[in-house]
Amino acid sequence: MSEKFSATLRIGDLNDYIAPSQGCVVSLKGIKPTPHKLQKSEQNAEKSRSAPNPLQTDPVKISLKDCLACSGCITSAETVMLEKQSLDEFLSSIKKGKTVIVSLSPQSRASLAVHFGLSSLQIFKKLTTFLKSLGVKAVFDTSCSRDLALIESCNEFVSRYKQLSDDGSCKSSVPMISSACPGWICYAEKTLGSYILPYISSVKSPQQTMGSIIKQHICQKMCIRPDDVYHVTVMPCYDKKLEAARDDFMFEVKSQGGTHENIGLRITEVDSVLTSGEVLDLIQAKSVDFRTLDESSLDKLLTNVNEEGHLYGVHGSSGGYAETIFQHAAKILFGKEIKGPLDFKIIKNSDFREVCLEVEGKTVLKFALCYGFRNLQNIVRKIKTGKCDYHFIEVMACPSGCLNGGGQIKRKPGQSPRDFIQSLEMAYTDDVLASDPFKNPVIKTLYDEWLDQPGSEKAKKLMHTEYHPVVKSITAALQNW
Amino acid sequence: MSLRDERLELKEIQRLEGHADRVWGLAWSPAAAAPPMLASCGGDKTVRIWQQSSPSGSFECKAVLEETHTRTVRSCAWSPSGKLLATASFDATTAIWEHIGDDFECVSTLEGHENEVKSVSWNASGSLLATCGRDKSVWIWEVLPGNEFECVSVLQGHTQDVKMVQWHPSVDVLISCSYDNTIKVWAEDGDNDDWHCVQTLDESTNGHSSTVWGLSFNASGDKLVTCSDDLTVKIWGTDLIKLQSGDGNAMWRHLCTLSGYHDRTIFSVHWSREGIIASGAADDAIRLFVDNKDGLVDGPMYELRLKKDKAHDMDVNSVQWNSSDNGLLASASDDGSVKIWKLTSLP
Repeated sequence: MSEKFSATLRIGDLNDYIAPSQGCVVSLKGIKPTPHKLQKSEQNAEKSRSAPNPLQTDPVKISLKDCLACSGCITSAETVMLEKQSLDEFLSSIKKGKTVIVSLSPQSRASLAVHFGLSSLQIFKKLTTFLKSLGVKAVFDTSCSRDLALIESCNEFVSRYKQLSDDGSCKSSVPMISSACPGWICYAEKTLGSYILPYISSVKSPQQTMGSIIKQHICQKMCIRPDDVYHVTVMPCYDKKLEAARDDFMFEVKSQGGTHENIGLRITEVDSVLTSGEVLDLIQAKSVDFRTLDESSLDKLLTNVNEEGHLYGVHGSSGGYAETIFQHAAKILFGKEIKGPLDFKIIKNSDFREVCLEVEGKTVLKFALCYGFRNLQNIVRKIKTGKCDYHFIEVMACPSGCLNGGGQIKRKPGQSPRDFIQSLEMAYTDDVLASDPFKNPVIKTLYDEWLDQPGSEKAKKLMHTEYHPVVKSITAALQNW
Repeated sequence: MSLRDERLELKEIQRLEGHADRVWGLAWSPAAAAPPMLASCGGDKTVRIWQQSSPSGSFECKAVLEETHTRTVRSCAWSPSGKLLATASFDATTAIWEHIGDDFECVSTLEGHENEVKSVSWNASGSLLATCGRDKSVWIWEVLPGNEFECVSVLQGHTQDVKMVQWHPSVDVLISCSYDNTIKVWAEDGDNDDWHCVQTLDESTNGHSSTVWGLSFNASGDKLVTCSDDLTVKIWGTDLIKLQSGDGNAMWRHLCTLSGYHDRTIFSVHWSREGIIASGAADDAIRLFVDNKDGLVDGPMYELRLKKDKAHDMDVNSVQWNSSDNGLLASASDDGSVKIWKLTSLP
């Protein structure tokens, strides 16, 4: 199971001489080994062939939250992952009469499109038919919530950039680093810690933005109790499951409409994450001939589809953060209109690219795309040694970015990785109109009736989040010798 | 006169005391001009630099590199020019030291490994550095001007602790060995500028059945020796011409297994320029093996030519031949000492 996570997370998997169940610090909480014993094993560790005597403990259930709070391994226990965020749980929530809402990511759409040889739009419509036949109430589009996240990111960048120029002493304002990749966030919190966290954008990912819109706004608007809604996202990435389980993405129900019974009830923005591959499993489990399914109309409430029925959205297949923010900053800060797609120049390798804006011979904006663990290492190293001259970095843990996420449907035997990524890129952009997030009517409405304006107090409270360095616990440190 | 006709003797020249804990690693400086210089590292978190005071004189501790690593220094390696020394530590970092005059200055620290770094190696040109460790990964770093290092690749293929990495003596091919009992060969992709595993030598290919602790190439680079917890030493061969042509088909194949010579774990093997394989093992002994040309029919055979019992009071963790033709061998042990030996042949 653990190999399904991004490589960035896997490198944190510390199980070595220790079997997974023993390696888990959480399961040792009941019966702690004596420090003396462990110190002794430190001396012998390098040469001992077998693990220290296994401790006889009853299996202890650990949750994703335990894993997130721990500085030990990520998790190698399949059961931990599957219990809460599985197809079974999804189907049983429908059965229980919950209002089940699915938010589909454009990367998953592309993955299914390549698999079935259909267009992204066809996939979206057929999947809507399929999911509604199971009892799902609505199918939305995370490229819609992503436009909101992008607008908030643009706003955050401009204020960070101004902070830099107003007051050179504020060194932690740039580079601003994108926050949409949960593998990167987890690695930064667990391994890099407090020196890197201030640089990370506080804007929630498109997944969590969608969760917030649905559970904190749409529910109220439509008079549905948020705890009656079971919100599922379909993502290219296993790490998104860890993101959904973060404490930061729970909120308490406020008193409303005179009923006080739910006060203090903790609501999760996203109840479950299914990967593209898991959705394919579901289609196959139901023995549906997916290609011949009817094409339903799309749920326009939170979907980037225009009056003519065309999909629209930003084009970067990892969210288009660098591109969108670059264009916005060039316009707002320097009055330069720059047409996309931007020409990112390859530095070192195709997963490390940059784009610059020069004004009067001076580089005023320098942005980078930085995908994959090896490139991420170099960026982190540069920041640590104060040698990073980028203003913004779009970081993704996976090589080639989100289309290549660990949750995507695997390529067919014989197909080269490069051809496969290319086919995904094509499916991602082919029938999707490139559009400016600031012109998205759905998002305009959300600001008008709910969030006021980009960067408002309300937007800060609902659309932004915080990061927490994971302090190495003593038990984890001992396990970690 | 060939080696196999001679009677060999391994004479202890000097016992170097100074480390306050077990000694793990050794590296002879490749700098040819100066008198022989040796780096040793160990459980006392320090690296010691020893140098012979005159061609025939005794070795003295010239420098102690300390207060940088916070835990055991597991291995060390000189850059081909001898100007830089890389040290791999259980503190999860690899330090780069520059030799300036009589001083050693820590000029860079490579972070990234999740935990213990176990081994470090420079490629033949000194443009690449490889590290490996308990996080099961192998890292390749590019050496840039100004003592800058950039991560070129993070390779995940081993399923356990990676014990040692070593670059081929002339081609940019990297070999690693692991607690997962395998030996892996890594090479750069032609087209997408990343590295990948091109071959895995495991039990199904006559490989080891337990932890592979160490490896060493012969001088020309067409043979490889590995040692293991399975009490055997194995010799592997490849087609050097193919390997140098960059042909990915230059596979390594098993040539022979030296079994029955060791009865405890073998921690270190090193192949001298003249073709003598030295081994250091948990039975405190040092053994020397030499190619026996008589066995040509069935491929190469190696015979035990010398066993130095009680070479140390405890496990021998590392054996290293000096790269000049002077017959000097260094050994490091759990007993906290480093020993310098001289190989001589008796008439």
